Amino acid sequence: MAWAGMNWGLFKIIYRHTGEIGLDSGWHEHEFFIFLGTIWIINSLIQTLFMANAAEFSELIRTGNLDFALLKPIDTQFLISFPRINWSQLPNGILGVMLIAHSLSELMQEREIYFSVFSLPAFLFFIGCGAVVMYSVMICLASTSIWFGRNQNLYNFWFYITNFYRYPMEIYQRSGVGMALWGTFTFVVPILVVSNIPARILAQPLGTPWKSWEWGLAAYAIIGSIWSLMASRWVFKRALKSYRSASS
Amino acid sequence: MPIRGKTFIADFSRLLVADKPFYNPAMPTIEIKNLSKTYRVYQKQEGLIASVRGLFHREYREVHAVNDINLTVEEGEFVAFLGPNGAGKTTTLKLLSGVINPDQGSVEVLGHVPWERENEYRRKFALVMGQKNQLWWDLPAMESFRLNQHIYCVPKDEFERTRDELCEMLNVTSLLGRPVRELSLGERMKMELIAALIHKPDVLFLDEPTIGLDVVAQHKIQEFLKAYQQEQNNTILLTSHYMKDIEALCKRVVIIANGSIYHDGSLEDIVDQFSGDKIVTLQLHDDRSLEAISKIPNLIEIDAPKIKFRVDRDGVGRVLSQILSEHAVDDIVVEDPPLEEVISNVFSQAEEKGRREVETHS
Repeated sequence: MAWAGMNWGLFKIIYRHTGEIGLDSGWHEHEFFIFLGTIWIINSLIQTLFMANAAEFSELIRTGNLDFALLKPIDTQFLISFPRINWSQLPNGILGVMLIAHSLSELMQEREIYFSVFSLPAFLFFIGCGAVVMYSVMICLASTSIWFGRNQNLYNFWFYITNFYRYPMEIYQRSGVGMALWGTFTFVVPILVVSNIPARILAQPLGTPWKSWEWGLAAYAIIGSIWSLMASRWVFKRALKSYRSASS
Repeated sequence: MPIRGKTFIADFSRLLVADKPFYNPAMPTIEIKNLSKTYRVYQKQEGLIASVRGLFHREYREVHAVNDINLTVEEGEFVAFLGPNGAGKTTTLKLLSGVINPDQGSVEVLGHVPWERENEYRRKFALVMGQKNQLWWDLPAMESFRLNQHIYCVPKDEFERTRDELCEMLNVTSLLGRPVRELSLGERMKMELIAALIHKPDVLFLDEPTIGLDVVAQHKIQEFLKAYQQEQNNTILLTSHYMKDIEALCKRVVIIANGSIYHDGSLEDIVDQFSGDKIVTLQLHDDRSLEAISKIPNLIEIDAPKIKFRVDRDGVGRVLSQILSEHAVDDIVVEDPPLEEVISNVFSQAEEKGRREVETHS
């Protein structure tokens, strides 16, 4: 929560200096805080549902207790992904909802925002896509413990990767390095898309109706979620092949 | 019917079942052919400098945990795996239960290849490891049983019947509600067994189920396993370092050393083959005889009026008749040497053989 407050404060300061992140990108202050709220929601979903489980998975590998998960006649990935729910991470998501609600009401006083009956379901659906992609990234990271034996860096890696999806994608589209990052986190690991699409649905930084590339990106977000889920499943299975258990 | 979480999980797991109807009962229950598993182990010298060097240049050693094993086990057999630590017993069991993948060779258990991890296969066997805990640590064992019931899709009434039967056989009904962390090692082991047997597996792998238990608990578990196996006629592979377990339970003993099978046969076979001696104890009528006989070779101990010595198996008759013709003897006992001793001989022979093979290879 303190972290969320600092995050919010930092961008409050930044917006003292500029009206918009990225020229003509439409990410003014209120739009951006909607984006930030969206990120908080996805993060808190992941941390509530999967973070502890992924860490536990690494530990199971190190101690060899994964043996027992492998014996059970149900899908192993399913079994290790869901055993625990970490409720303490939920408040950040609630803060995210509050931040979105507040920024949206401010924004609506400034200009017209278009909503249809599909807006909320679409927003939730793409949040879901976001959770799926981030879950896949986490499973891949945790699976590497099978090769490295010990993986205390799960949380660090997680922090590095999520660092890249916490901003509107326009900020990357300026330089060569930025474009490379944008390409990587859009097409290889589609984490940028899944944070940007739901935020765009509510904030509509470029107004309504959506531009055609925005529609394309939304379609790609769905494909990206499916592809990352499949990729994570492949990595998981591949890793299990190399599992060597531990002394007993 | 209201949809509850548990029902959902059960249904979900049922969805994941891949049906493979083919299994020919005439086939052996377990068939292992040329099975090998090699681990590459990082060799690290001690100290900081060696750690830094290890970042750039790593030395590995190959450990042949399982080395070209062939074995066939028929339905209803109770087979013991015997061998020194690090011989490859547990690795074999892990290969058979599909936890790890082999480098070479094939295995079929009940017509399935274990490391394909088909749900249908995983429903038919269980693995119990004496050194590891698969129950929820902070919850009563009852909760773990329930979870297994749903994972293995056991119908409720059947589950309750099996559970009550097993609890009664092991005498732990009153402990069902106690958190696992508050159970003694023996009690916990019994719970582990029940958890593994809830789905009535056809094949059971037991890896040192009596390790660290006191004599009474060991005996209880032996009795239970014996009765259970007779009742269910399932196939059991057991590893143990306690000869009492093996004497009580297994007709067939497979000795594994250095990853290979060194001997496969009955316990009596092993004693016959690997122990050339019998141990003779005589109770003598007078001290004069005792003194005369005390010069015999291979004397073990004298505890007047008793004397104990070792005689070559073939020479027992000759030696005894000679003694009986010259001395007055009150009592005679002729027995095999203790099993522990025989087995420890076998182990050292096997290790010696393994060392020689390594030397000739290199």
